[in-house]
Formats: sequence, structure tokens, C-alpha cells
Amino acid sequence: MKHDPVDKLIQHAYLEGAITTRKAYEDAVAKRNIAVVLSEEKRIALERRLEQALARSHQEKVPATVGAFLQKVKAEQSIKAQEIFARVGLAPNVYRMLEHDRISPLKISAEAWKKIRTLFNLQTDELVAMVRRTHQLVFFRPSFRTTLARYDAKKNKGMKASTLEKAASELYSKARLDLPEDEKEKLEKLLKSIAAGK
Amino acid sequence: MARIPNKQVVQELKEGNPLGCRHLIGLYQEKLVSECVTVFNLVLEDSEELVSDVLLTVVQNVHDFEFKRGDGDFHLWVLTIFRNRVRDLARHQAITAGLVERFEEGDSDDGQYSRSERAVIDEIVRQYQDSLRDERSLDEGPGSGKLRIIAETLDKMESWERVLLRCRALDVPYEDIATYTGKPVKQLKVYHARVKKRFVKMLTDNHPEFVQRTTGTETHEA
Repeated sequence: MKHDPVDKLIQHAYLEGAITTRKAYEDAVAKRNIAVVLSEEKRIALERRLEQALARSHQEKVPATVGAFLQKVKAEQSIKAQEIFARVGLAPNVYRMLEHDRISPLKISAEAWKKIRTLFNLQTDELVAMVRRTHQLVFFRPSFRTTLARYDAKKNKGMKASTLEKAASELYSKARLDLPEDEKEKLEKLLKSIAAGK
Repeated sequence: MARIPNKQVVQELKEGNPLGCRHLIGLYQEKLVSECVTVFNLVLEDSEELVSDVLLTVVQNVHDFEFKRGDGDFHLWVLTIFRNRVRDLARHQAITAGLVERFEEGDSDDGQYSRSERAVIDEIVRQYQDSLRDERSLDEGPGSGKLRIIAETLDKMESWERVLLRCRALDVPYEDIATYTGKPVKQLKVYHARVKKRFVKMLTDNHPEFVQRTTGTETHEA
């Protein structure tokens, strides 16, 4: 469409933030039909570029599991495990499992999660991301183990547990982890309860 | 193909799932390139590069993005990044190629404005361009100050006129503007040119110094 000098001037004022359309422009863009169709090659080229950027950014920003977080905090702040589980109201054995990502976060009450959030001054989103990731890890760990054990039996019987664990972590970080619907529901319910007490 | 909800795209990207990139491209690549070409009159090559940068920024910063009101938050966020990138390119072009020349390129004025009205528009554009060149090294929000005159003049107009001018400059359909203003589409179409003319007249009346400055320059040059 042709724009006259006044339209162009108003466009510049919009771009510079001197005026706003109060979402009218953004809404119009959402509804507008596509006027320029690009080739498949261009789409694929951009997809590759984005995937590389995503992989880099994900490696840097991926949220820690609850276990990794607790271990880090314990080391950095010289807090004793005893102190933590007493303050959040967890049994010692449950806390130990949590610290090693051996228990599903679903088995811990929303109240205990809220206490963890308060104790470590965590943002709800941070905690939710850690809980989500930990649950995925715990849920999929048996599948990883089965797969890796099969590989182990055929190729390398002497593979150490730590190597297996490392391989499982790598597999976990690269795999697409879609939880089954019922698991998703349970997890979302817990996350909602945690977020409810902001 | 069914539209992928924004929440799904964001979650995929946050999880590092490459499918999120495909969905993001499906939602925004051609849409934003179309905006660059049709609304902001950018050339196709620049538009493609600009949109790639926008989507790259989305992917790199998605971890810090949060939904606060609803699914539309993501669209607004992407459009904000897009607007900033178009602004940066417009500034760059103004500094390197000259904005006054760009305003004259493909001008569809058709003698709608008088000589003095045109002079006022040109003077605002020139001042904006100069401010970008002057403040290039200062890094303190160049340009917007010089365009505040536009906002101030629009504020003196009636609300529906203001909405009409702002929205049409960005190709918001008349049907949408009719919903926002409560005026019939036909009336908005008829009045658009007149309202624009009134806006320029108000600019000219409120800033006679711009006309004098331009006229003075012409006399001096003559």
C-alpha cells in the first residue's frame, strides 16, 4: 500500500514510541493475511539458524533440577541438610531422595514446596521450572535406564554406573519429554497449588 | 493446519524442543516479512534479514518471557521486538541514506498538501533526521523527542480522528477502526483524507517557524 508523507511521519512516531495504537496495530497483524510467501529453502535455513541458537541458549539457561539446586545451595551457603529438611517439614529420607532427584516432586506436598520457595527466596516461576524438570527426569529415568542397560549388555558390560548416569543425563537433556496426559494433569495441579500461594 | 497456541510454542522453546522453532517460523516469518514490505515499505532482502533477527532474539530470550495476562502476551512481545528492529533499521537508513529522500521516494501526495504544509512536514523530517545524526553517539533515545510534535498535534484532535490517523498509517483495517471509534466504515473512508489534511493544517498553524525556516533557506539559496 502507498503511504503519503503524513502516514510515514506517523509511522516513525509509532516506531520511536512517541505514539501508540493501544494494541490496535498488534491485533491487526495477528488477523492479517500473509502478503509475501517465502520459499521452502528460506524457511529451512532460518529453522536451522534458530535451532542452533536454541540449543546454545538452552544449554546456558536450562533450569536445574531440585536435587542439583539443593546440592548447590548446600555447598555455597554451608547449610546442613538437617537444617533444610527440618525447616521445610520433610522426613530425612524423603529429603535425601529429593536431593538426589530420586523422588517425584508430586510426592511432596504443595505446602512443603512453598516453604522451600520461602526458605531459598525463589521466584515461583523458577521453582515451577525446577519442579517440572525434576518430575520429567524422575518419570523418564526408568526408560533411560532400560534403554541404556540394553546397550550396555550388548556392547560394554563393564560400563560404570557413573558413566551410565552421565549418559542418562545427556539423553535426558536432548530428548523430547512429553509426559502422558494423566502425569501432566497431576503435575499441573501441583504447580497450580504452589503458584496459588504467591 | 490448525493454529498452534502461543503457550505451546513458548513451552517448546523453553524446553529446548526444536519443534518450537518450526512453529515459531510458521506463525511469524511470512507474517512479519509481509508487514515489513507492505506497511513499512522495506525491500524484501532487508525484511527477511530483519525478521530472522527478530525470531533469533525471541529464541534467545524466551527463557525470560512470562505470560501475565493471557496467550496474546507472546504476540505482543514478538511485535515489540519487531517494532524495535524496524525502528533501528529506519534510524540506520535515515543516518546513512537520508530520510528526506526516502520521504520523497514513491510519494503519493498527489498535490494534496499546499507548499507551506509540505514545507512543515519536510522540516519535521529534517529535524528528526538531524537529531539521529547528532545523537548517534550519545545513546539516549535519539529521535523520539523531535517526533513528539506529532503526538502533541494528534492529542489536540478529536479521539476518533486520532485513532483513524494512527491506525491507518499502520494499515489497520477500516472495519477494526470502526469498532474502536463507533463510526461507520464508509464515513471513516470518506473522512480519512480530510482528517489528514486537518492534521497537517494544525501542524502548520502551530509551528509557523518551520515554514519561515524553509522559506528563509530557499530565499538564501536563491
